[in-house]
Amino acid sequence: MIKRVLLLGIVAGVLAGAAALIYQKVYTASLGADFSAIAKPGGILLSCVIGCIIASLGYWVLHKMLKGKTDIVFNLLFAVLSFATIVPAFGAKLPLDAVSPELFPGLVIPMHFFPVLGWLVLRPIFLKSADTYVTAVNDK
Amino acid sequence: MKKYITSMAALLISAAALAFAATQNWQIGTKYNITFSNADVSGIFKTFKGAIAFDEKNLDASKFDVSIDVTSINTGNGLQNQHAKSAEWFDAAKYPVITFKSKKITKTGAAYQVTGDLTIHGVTKEISFPFTFQNKGASGVFAASFTVNRLDYHIGKAGDVADALKLSISVPVDKK
Repeated sequence: MIKRVLLLGIVAGVLAGAAALIYQKVYTASLGADFSAIAKPGGILLSCVIGCIIASLGYWVLHKMLKGKTDIVFNLLFAVLSFATIVPAFGAKLPLDAVSPELFPGLVIPMHFFPVLGWLVLRPIFLKSADTYVTAVNDK
Repeated sequence: MKKYITSMAALLISAAALAFAATQNWQIGTKYNITFSNADVSGIFKTFKGAIAFDEKNLDASKFDVSIDVTSINTGNGLQNQHAKSAEWFDAAKYPVITFKSKKITKTGAAYQVTGDLTIHGVTKEISFPFTFQNKGASGVFAASFTVNRLDYHIGKAGDVADALKLSISVPVDKK
């Protein structure tokens, strides 16, 4: 199961990163506020992949501990943690030559939710709903 | 007698006019840097303008009359910028500019000392601070660094952030 969960994390991370980069392009084009020197494309992609891999590892650890209740706890935890990560985005201090820093949270805050979206959307492909239950039963 | 007084007055006015005319006027360049900082906050003001008349050999006729656009404040954080412009701090809507008008400039060793009225947040106080002038012929750079107490100008509340704000100013200029 760990292999599938990790693969889910990697694929979801790449998907979330791609979505974030597309969002950045659209945001920059529509508002004219270019923060690509601060939120670098490589950094965005890497953050999404690392975030989703950590989520996958978390899911695996939770599954070992909670068995059948893993999904309920994990989904809630992942969503709450995603919300929590937006706090530093509001407090971010940009370089003083950055134009319109007030537009920065509007760029990065939606990106903080792309990993959780990507992971949950792809989850049924990599982990069938019964997997958790079956594995839980087998573990007993 | 009346003719004598008139002649003397004309002479004085002409002398004053000549003295002023002899003072070099400087055009403020675009790469100026106005920063403020303390342990809690830091940032820059992006818009600075005014008139600078400065002659190292004629300090009596030299004068600074400059202003900073409060709305151009940038702390690097959008929320903090809005907070700084709010009524609790600079109240940019009511007091959109910070002004400094010099009254006296003296030489102190290799540098200079300027005394003048600094108006922030509608409060005017006389301050003195040292500055340097790097003369490069057709151009030059004024530089100064000094501290103001924000509570003297009724900016913010006591205890929110450190009271003393260090201002660092670097203004490149070109001869007019």
